[in-house]
Amino acid sequence: MRWSFLPLIAAALAGWATALSSTGTRLLVVLEEESKQSQYSSLWAQLKSRGYDLSFESPKSDKLSLFRLGERAYDHVILLPPAGKAYGPALSPKILLDFINSEGNILLGLTADHPTPAAISSLLLELDIHISPDRQAVVVDHFNYDSSSASEKHDVLVVPTPKSLRTDLKNFFAGKLPIAFPRAVGQTLGNDSPLLAPILRASPNAYVYNPKEETETVEDLYASGEQIALVSALQARNSARLTVLGSVEALEDKWFDAVVEVNGRTSKTQNSEFAKQLTAWTFKEVGVLKVGRVQHHLKSGSDGVLNESLYPAGDLNPKIYRVKNDVTFTIELSEYSNDRLIPFTPDANDVVQLEFSMLSPFHRLRLEPSGTTANSTFFSTSFTLPDQHGIFNFRVNYKRPFLSNVDEKREVTVRHFAHDEWPRSWNISGAWTWIAGIWVTVAGWLAFVAVWLWSAPAKQTGIKKTQ
Amino acid sequence: MAPPKRAKSSTPSAPSSTTNSTNIRKTNDVSQIVQHLYNNYVEQTPQRVKLIDTFMVFLVVVGALQFLYCLIGGNFPFNAFLSGFSATVGQFVLTASLRMQTNPENASEFKSVSTERAFADYIFGSLILHFFCVNFIN
Repeated sequence: MRWSFLPLIAAALAGWATALSSTGTRLLVVLEEESKQSQYSSLWAQLKSRGYDLSFESPKSDKLSLFRLGERAYDHVILLPPAGKAYGPALSPKILLDFINSEGNILLGLTADHPTPAAISSLLLELDIHISPDRQAVVVDHFNYDSSSASEKHDVLVVPTPKSLRTDLKNFFAGKLPIAFPRAVGQTLGNDSPLLAPILRASPNAYVYNPKEETETVEDLYASGEQIALVSALQARNSARLTVLGSVEALEDKWFDAVVEVNGRTSKTQNSEFAKQLTAWTFKEVGVLKVGRVQHHLKSGSDGVLNESLYPAGDLNPKIYRVKNDVTFTIELSEYSNDRLIPFTPDANDVVQLEFSMLSPFHRLRLEPSGTTANSTFFSTSFTLPDQHGIFNFRVNYKRPFLSNVDEKREVTVRHFAHDEWPRSWNISGAWTWIAGIWVTVAGWLAFVAVWLWSAPAKQTGIKKTQ
Repeated sequence: MAPPKRAKSSTPSAPSSTTNSTNIRKTNDVSQIVQHLYNNYVEQTPQRVKLIDTFMVFLVVVGALQFLYCLIGGNFPFNAFLSGFSATVGQFVLTASLRMQTNPENASEFKSVSTERAFADYIFGSLILHFFCVNFIN
C-alpha cells in the first residue's frame, strides 16, 4: 500500500532528496503494534528518501538493544507510545540517557490517548520538562480547533507555524499553513535549564484539560496558553538532541494532507513539511556547526616595540606570549546544510564572541568575518594582551538554541617582559632631559679633567711668600 | 666643604699680615662680612681649588635644572630622573672629596695621599659613577 503513495511523495520531496544527517543514517523506530507502521507510511518514505536506514522493533523484543559492544547500535531513535504501561527493559530511562550521552538523537512521541509511561514522565522531569500529573490530560482549545474532526471534544488543535524564538535566531520551523495537532500532551518547560527550547507553543486560548474530571468548570489549571509547549527540544551539552513531540498522531498519513476547518475557514495542513523540519532538526541535518581551524599568532605588521621579542615572529599557535603583545585570533566555522558544509553566517543581530580569560574574562570581543572559503567562514579579531601574566585561555563559547554547541578553548601562557624587552631610554620622550643631564655632567667632567691636567703649575701660586 | 673654607678665612689673621685688606674689625654689618669673605676667598684660594669650585658650581646648576624640570614636568620615568640627578650629585660628592684631599691647607691630614693619588682615585670613582648612571637609565 505504501508504494502507491511514493510517486506523489517523491515529487514533493524532490528538493529534499539530497538531505543527509551529519551524524549517521541508522534510524531505529520503536513501535509496539505492527499495524501502526502503515499509518505512518508517508513519514517512513520521507525518511528513507533522505537516506536513513530504518529498522522497526517492538519495545518488548528480545533483540532490541540501543548499544552493541559498548557502542551505539543506532544513530537516531523514534519512540512511538507503547501500548502497555512501559517501554520495557531495553529502553529504560537510564539507557535512553546513556544514548543521549553517546551523542544519539531521540524523537519521543507522546499521545493523550495512552497514559505516558511513568518512567518516561520521570525522565522528562529530570530534564525539566513537566507533564500534567493527570494521566489522561489533553490540550484543548475552544477557539482554534478543527471543527471537521473534533467538533465536540475540541482536542484537535490547529496551530500556526512557530516564529523565530528570539530576534537573533534563525527559524528552522517556518511555514505558511497551520499545523494540525490531535490529542496532544502539553508540556511545560522549567526556567532553569539552558538546554531547553520550545519548538511549537500552543495558542493563547489553549489549556490542559483532564477528561476524567466531572466538574462543570475547570479550576486549578495545570497550564494554559503559550506556556504549553506542544513540541519541546532539548539539546544536551554534547549537542545530542531530544525532541518531545506532544502529539505523535500529527505525523500520521491522514494528517499530512488533511484539510482542517477553523471558524469556518478551511486550509490544508503544514504537517508534512513540519514533520520534515522536525526530523531534520532532531537528526542533525540542520543547525549543525562545525569548527575547522583555530589559530592565534602575533599580529603581523604591528610596530616593533610591543611585539619585539627573542622568539621568532610568524610562529603559528605559540604556547607562550608576552604581556601587551598584539595578537590575532582566527576561527573557522562551517554550517552543515543538506549534505555539505557551507560558510556559517550568524544572524544579523547575533555576534560570535571571543573570550580571553584567566578565571574570568579579561576581554570579550566580537569576532568579525574576515574571509570565506567554499565551505567555511573565518572569524577573526586582533587585540592587545592584558597587562597581566599568567595562564590564559582563548575561548569561543557559542551556544544558541537550535544550533549545535561550539566551545573551543586554547590555552596559552603570558609571561612578563624580559629584562631586555623594556623600551630603551631614548625611546621614551620623558627621559630625554635626564639623558641630557647625564651627558652634560660627563662633558663637564671631561673638561674639568683636561683643565686640571693642563694646569699643573697652578700648584705654585698661593704658597705663602712670607715663608 | 664649608669648614675648610671657614678655617681658611679665619687663619689669615695669624700668618699673613700684609697685602690683603683683612684688618679685622669687629662689625655687625652683614654686607661687610660677606664682602670680607668674598675678598678673602678670591685672594687666598689656590688656583686649582678655584677650578674645583667652579666645576662644583657647574654641577649644582645642572642638578638644579634637572630638579626644576622634575618639579614642572613630572618624574616619569623615575629611573631616568634618579639616574640623571644622581649623576650630578654623585659627581659633586666625588669632586668635594678631591677638593679635600688636594687642598694645600689640609696637607697635614692627608700625608699618605699624594695629589696624584687623589686625582687617580677621583677619576676611577667618576668612571664607576658614569657607568652606573648610563646603565640605570637603560
